[in-house]
Amino acid sequence: MSAAELVRHVAPSPRIAARVWRRDAQNFSKLWRGALLPTFLDPLFYLFAMGFGLGTYLATIQGIPYKNFIAPGLVASAAMWSAVFETTYNTYIKMNENRLYDALVATPVEVPDLVTGELAWTATRSLVYGTSFLVVITAFGLVDSWWALLIPVCLLLGGACFGVIGMLFTALVPKIDLYSYFFTLFVTPMFLFSGIFFPLTKLPNALEVVAWFTPLYHLVNLMRELATGPDLWPVIGNAAWLLVLTALIYPLLAVKMRDRLIA
Amino acid sequence: MSAVGLVKRYGDLTAVDGIDFNVGEGECFGFLGPNGAGKTSTMKMIYGLATIDGGRLDVLGHDVARDRRAVKARIGVVPQEDNLDRAFPVRENLLVHGHYYGLETRALERRVDDLLRFVQLYERAGDNVMALSGGMRRRLLIARALVNSPDLVVLDEPTTGLDPQARHAVWTALERLKLEGVTLILTTHYMEEAERLCDRLVIMDHGEIITEGTPDELIAEHVGREVLELTIDDDTPVEDLLASLTSFYDSYERADRQLLLYAGDAERLLEAIDHSRFPCERSVVRRAGLEDVFLRLTGRTLRE
Repeated sequence: MSAAELVRHVAPSPRIAARVWRRDAQNFSKLWRGALLPTFLDPLFYLFAMGFGLGTYLATIQGIPYKNFIAPGLVASAAMWSAVFETTYNTYIKMNENRLYDALVATPVEVPDLVTGELAWTATRSLVYGTSFLVVITAFGLVDSWWALLIPVCLLLGGACFGVIGMLFTALVPKIDLYSYFFTLFVTPMFLFSGIFFPLTKLPNALEVVAWFTPLYHLVNLMRELATGPDLWPVIGNAAWLLVLTALIYPLLAVKMRDRLIA
Repeated sequence: MSAVGLVKRYGDLTAVDGIDFNVGEGECFGFLGPNGAGKTSTMKMIYGLATIDGGRLDVLGHDVARDRRAVKARIGVVPQEDNLDRAFPVRENLLVHGHYYGLETRALERRVDDLLRFVQLYERAGDNVMALSGGMRRRLLIARALVNSPDLVVLDEPTTGLDPQARHAVWTALERLKLEGVTLILTTHYMEEAERLCDRLVIMDHGEIITEGTPDELIAEHVGREVLELTIDDDTPVEDLLASLTSFYDSYERADRQLLLYAGDAERLLEAIDHSRFPCERSVVRRAGLEDVFLRLTGRTLRE
């Protein structure tokens, strides 16, 4: 593949990608009441069970009460779950069951526009889910810093990052059954071992290194730092890490989606 | 629209093997052929769902390989498989699709309402698309293909799987489009459909175009005007019996117990056959049609 060809297969038209985003937003605007509630209750249950339940038996972690410790991490995980559901099951059904992407690619929408539009929507959805949970924990008095106002921006970034990973898996899997591997071997361990419920310093060294490479670890750090008043440089590092990973995976995703959609 | 030496390969399989064709403005051009002949691959190359592996394809003044987006903005597509957006009811379905073309909402709404009336779905505007019958969904797909007021509409088997009423409704809609000067390219398995709609057509087999012309030209060229169908016994010595009748028919074909004789005047042939006491159980004289041409050229072997 020549460089010019690669650019053509990867570079989107933002104007046309926005049309794809608009379709998803329009769809969500009809469903959000039903769709938001379960994903929203999920972190709330964790907050109650772990924070207000288990947490009462624990002393503070790193000098902060346990419920305050886990609450920002749950904002990150809400964004993650939102993005991976959108780009796995939802995308799979749109692409393979409804053949919707075939219909889009027959219009002026090209594959990179489609992928970018879908990712933009995935990021938006993560923003909506994460921010609504942020509002809840703020109401519980679990957010201490005005820096938390930057959290929505970071949720967009996190959503895009989980989006490229989920959608890449969707571009590669032949059958819907294989998602259970994605969730059991990747998403759930990430949820448990990315520092939401306990600091990674308590893990064996090797696991800590593995966790460092997962995007959730960095998003959790971002959320916690911004909710409690950040050390600026580590936070910028976390954001940069997410940005770089997204930028690295995106071209591969665009090429793989093209292979999948165009014979 | 013109194709020169157009090629599509899937791995080792050459689905389209260097075909040439031209479609004029306002023409209805048909692709006939058995399953796997390369029709759908050709359609997909036109509307951008398949890459072009060789040759050149120009559509509405654009080289498709280089300028796909410009081509897609000016064409409409009715795919073989229903790919309506199930998240949106009938009217919204067309609006959402129109937005992919960047159409302005006010004008788009007017266009969509006209199209719903055109395909007789205006009363169903608020219905879920999954609640529509197969025929209605096909009509909605046709309306969707017209949302950008295309100069060219590509239809891949537009009436496959529809009942006769629904099929006729689709034909009526397509004939109206022809009257409006829209260029149509369609693939079909139904000879009746091709004869009724197509100004010109090609028959494809094994990725190649094996013949091209108007329906009447093809019938005249390959089978003649009339057909005499005889039902005969398995052991009838056809060759011997026909030897004395060669001046009455142009060609013949035997398929199991059916003997088809192509002739300019089948009645006269039938009389001659009666005279020669040709043993047959049943005889029918009918006009020759595209189906005869099709089966002659592509054979009777099943294609799966």
